[in-house]
Amino acid sequence: MSIWLIAAKALLGGFAVIAFSLLGQAGHPKRFSGLFAAAPSVALASLAMTVIAKGAGGAVPYAQGMLIASAGMLVYCLVCLVLIQRLHALSGSILAWSAWFAVAGGLYLVVDH
Amino acid sequence: MDGRQLFQDDEQPVGFDGSKLFKAKPSEIAIRFVFGVGIALVAAVIGAVFGPKAGGLFLAFPAVLPATLTLIEKKEGTTKAWADASGGVLGAIGLAAFALTAVLLLRWNPLAALLLALGAWAVVSGSLYFLFRKTELFLMQDKLLSRSR
Repeated sequence: MSIWLIAAKALLGGFAVIAFSLLGQAGHPKRFSGLFAAAPSVALASLAMTVIAKGAGGAVPYAQGMLIASAGMLVYCLVCLVLIQRLHALSGSILAWSAWFAVAGGLYLVVDH
Repeated sequence: MDGRQLFQDDEQPVGFDGSKLFKAKPSEIAIRFVFGVGIALVAAVIGAVFGPKAGGLFLAFPAVLPATLTLIEKKEGTTKAWADASGGVLGAIGLAAFALTAVLLLRWNPLAALLLALGAWAVVSGSLYFLFRKTELFLMQDKLLSRSR
């Protein structure tokens, strides 16, 4: 993969995150705006760039990995709900990353091997 | 977690406040941009080194959520941050619908597949939100997971 493709994915991913997070910020009530917290912003940008650079066949394995890790995202948000009441938003949401790594990493190892 | 504040927030009509789109501080936008660039970079580099499926895992990594939740907590309190994460649970199910649609349709027509995948995310997460809002499901989730006052 060329350095230019990596850079294009990163830049486009950053702009996509801004677009979805602004939508989330404008949305109400808060539970509705929270839907945008799990929007496929980076995924959309990254898959589009992969399709352009490598064709659809090159993007499918990325989408497969994403499908596996979306279970991690679901568990992450549930763990966040438990932790942010006890530890506040910053520490709770960062500590909850361990749940994402456990679920996404575990499922990846089980499915891929 | 303030149950009354959560209930009042839930009672608001669903929609978008266009004026809030332009109220974000440049520093808040910059933080989200940096996290977005960072996770896209991680996904691309891991994809190049360990293979695309491993890189794809990070397309569903909650990189920006800690920044978002922290900003909400700072401005509006822990209850609102909790509510945002509660919506994120449903958005994550929509995220799975996005990925599944992409896996199934990318080889058929990549552009249509990505647009339909985005549509799948919006329909699944939006439908679940309205289902939870119209029924007692949000209340059940709150009772199960919150330490409400």
